Amino acid sequence: MDMLLTEDQLALAETVRDYLAGTHGPEVLRRLDADGNRDPAIWQGLVDMGLTGLLVPEAQGGLGMGLVDAALIAAECGRACLAEPLVDTAFVGVPWLLAQGKTDQLADVVAGRVTLPLAHAINPWVADGEGATLKSVDPMRNLAASANDNADPHLLNLGALMSAAQLVGLADAMLHLAVEYAKIRTQFGQPIGAFQAIKHQLATCAVAIEFAKPVIWQAAQALQDGRPSAAVHVSHAKVAATDAAMLTAETAIQVHGAMGYTYEVDLHVWMKRSCALSGAWGTRAFHLKRVDDAVLGGTLAIGPEHTFA
Amino acid sequence: MHLEYTPEQDAFRAEVRAWMEAHVPKEPLVTLECREGYDQHVEWERTLASGNWGMVTWPEAYGGRGLDLIQWLIFEEEYFRAGGPNRANQNGIFLLGPTIMEFGTEEQKKRFLTPMAKGEVIWAQAWSEPGAGSDMAAISSKAVRDGDHYVITGQKTWSSRAAFADWGFGMFRTDPESKRHKGLTFILFDINSPGITRRPIRQLHGDTGFAELFFDEVRVPVENCLAGEGEGWNVAMATAGFERGLMLRSPGRFQATAKRLVDLYRKHEAEASPAAREAVLQAWMSAQAYAYNTYAVAAKIMAGGKIGAEASLNKIFWSELDRSMHRTAMQLLGAHAELKRFDDGSVNQWLEGYIFSLSGPIYAGSNEVQRNITAERMLGLPRVGAG
Repeated sequence: MDMLLTEDQLALAETVRDYLAGTHGPEVLRRLDADGNRDPAIWQGLVDMGLTGLLVPEAQGGLGMGLVDAALIAAECGRACLAEPLVDTAFVGVPWLLAQGKTDQLADVVAGRVTLPLAHAINPWVADGEGATLKSVDPMRNLAASANDNADPHLLNLGALMSAAQLVGLADAMLHLAVEYAKIRTQFGQPIGAFQAIKHQLATCAVAIEFAKPVIWQAAQALQDGRPSAAVHVSHAKVAATDAAMLTAETAIQVHGAMGYTYEVDLHVWMKRSCALSGAWGTRAFHLKRVDDAVLGGTLAIGPEHTFA
Repeated sequence: MHLEYTPEQDAFRAEVRAWMEAHVPKEPLVTLECREGYDQHVEWERTLASGNWGMVTWPEAYGGRGLDLIQWLIFEEEYFRAGGPNRANQNGIFLLGPTIMEFGTEEQKKRFLTPMAKGEVIWAQAWSEPGAGSDMAAISSKAVRDGDHYVITGQKTWSSRAAFADWGFGMFRTDPESKRHKGLTFILFDINSPGITRRPIRQLHGDTGFAELFFDEVRVPVENCLAGEGEGWNVAMATAGFERGLMLRSPGRFQATAKRLVDLYRKHEAEASPAAREAVLQAWMSAQAYAYNTYAVAAKIMAGGKIGAEASLNKIFWSELDRSMHRTAMQLLGAHAELKRFDDGSVNQWLEGYIFSLSGPIYAGSNEVQRNITAERMLGLPRVGAG
């Protein structure tokens, strides 16, 4: 029994964080918002780092890593509010193809020549796919209408897990933006971050984020291991991450005051992605129902001796 | 990350389970906050010690089993699965014990740890003073050096367990010229020493779990000082870290409450609101999240890491979770919630638990202080008004 994230896992996530901080900062988000929200150069950078092949087995030219590694990097993609469809293609689409034994597209995915639009009955749209254009609140999302009847539960679990991972990264970023703003915005002769009314709200966000993260890593490992209860853990992760992200989005906007309601402050980009991913791959209500079926329905063993049931 | 227990860990769980099933009292003990209940709980500490379960993580030389933190978590899970009573000596084993392990001399370890693990000496904390609650650096009780003794004069209050316990620990001002965090010394004292008067304080529920302690020229040997004279603040911060962090409230306690809440919900499902249903699910999710986080922290410590300001996040999380679970239970119980005993004569544990849960966000450093610590030390927001 070991809940430790290894030095290697944390180091890889940090590398991705640093790379995205350097190449996908607010000025890039503003540019993508203004003139076309996809950029082949950004995509190529991700391909060159090997991220499209993260979950592809080494025999097929990938890095052969697991869902915990992918979840950690998905969180970094959330932190950077990455526009390119890396998470969908490489961390949801690839493991779904692998689970079905479909390997013919993997070399193209690793090389970045192919992305994998993922249609599922749970979503009324397909992201980065074909069809009539739907407009998202999030200017970085390219949605097409979809009436797909694919209800594959594994695809849904992968999509929900990686949405949850992105949501905690988004929450981290929004908390950071609010903290930095509270340090420099002065009112009543002091930085507003010195007021306890501000401190306590931000501390409450930190608590929500801190206790959502291990739920996600644990769910990723459960799904990786194919535990029968994995779906419940994924749903728990989606609920916890949604709550942490939306609480932080609302709090961060409040802490920014009137500036928080402007387009000029970049915060809205993260807030909108949080709204989008909160509803994607199963709403809070959908996932709470799955937890309900397991916990009150009695299909999952509960109690102190069943921490990892 | 590896989420399977080893065969050795499974065997250890089975050993704990068998012992607990054979020894945990079938009927809940009377509340720890009165003489009768205190005596029952002390007896339980000694029963635990008879099985060598007093404090499993301590070295064998000090009355422990030398087990690691994962085994400790397994022990705690089984303890709460079996409905094990609250630990009368929690101020000793969870707070002072680890502090002595870190700062104590070899002589102090031998003298204090084994009787603590065996439940022979029950400890009270003596943190607060009337003018120094959340603002602990405002402590004014004095300890004046006189040869190989300190002479203590002053007052402590809201001291948990001090109504009945044997020994206490706290900070005293040894440098009369000092201000705030400096000049404080961490001293252990026998509460039955001449010059100490204890006045039990009646708590919200009417019982007397904590007390005021009045010190009138109480002579305490210098060797009862932990770490050096004037080092009190650093020692106390470490103790507070243990209190808020890993040890004081292990996840099993909350997972057991969440499970009881699920059972309670099933009984009252017909008249329960959708909001109560969601609160029950939230209880399970939060208790599980707390468990995952604790396993992660344990793994980090075992890999050589330390617990820092995140101890404050822990304290906020478990205390507010506990209050919210009991609030939900009170709502489910409806008109039965106020009854001290149910129709069948059984004690309304939810009511007792609810009232106790109201103290959680206050003790071990109020949650307002924890949110300040989180904001300032973890998030880096500016400090104002703290000296």
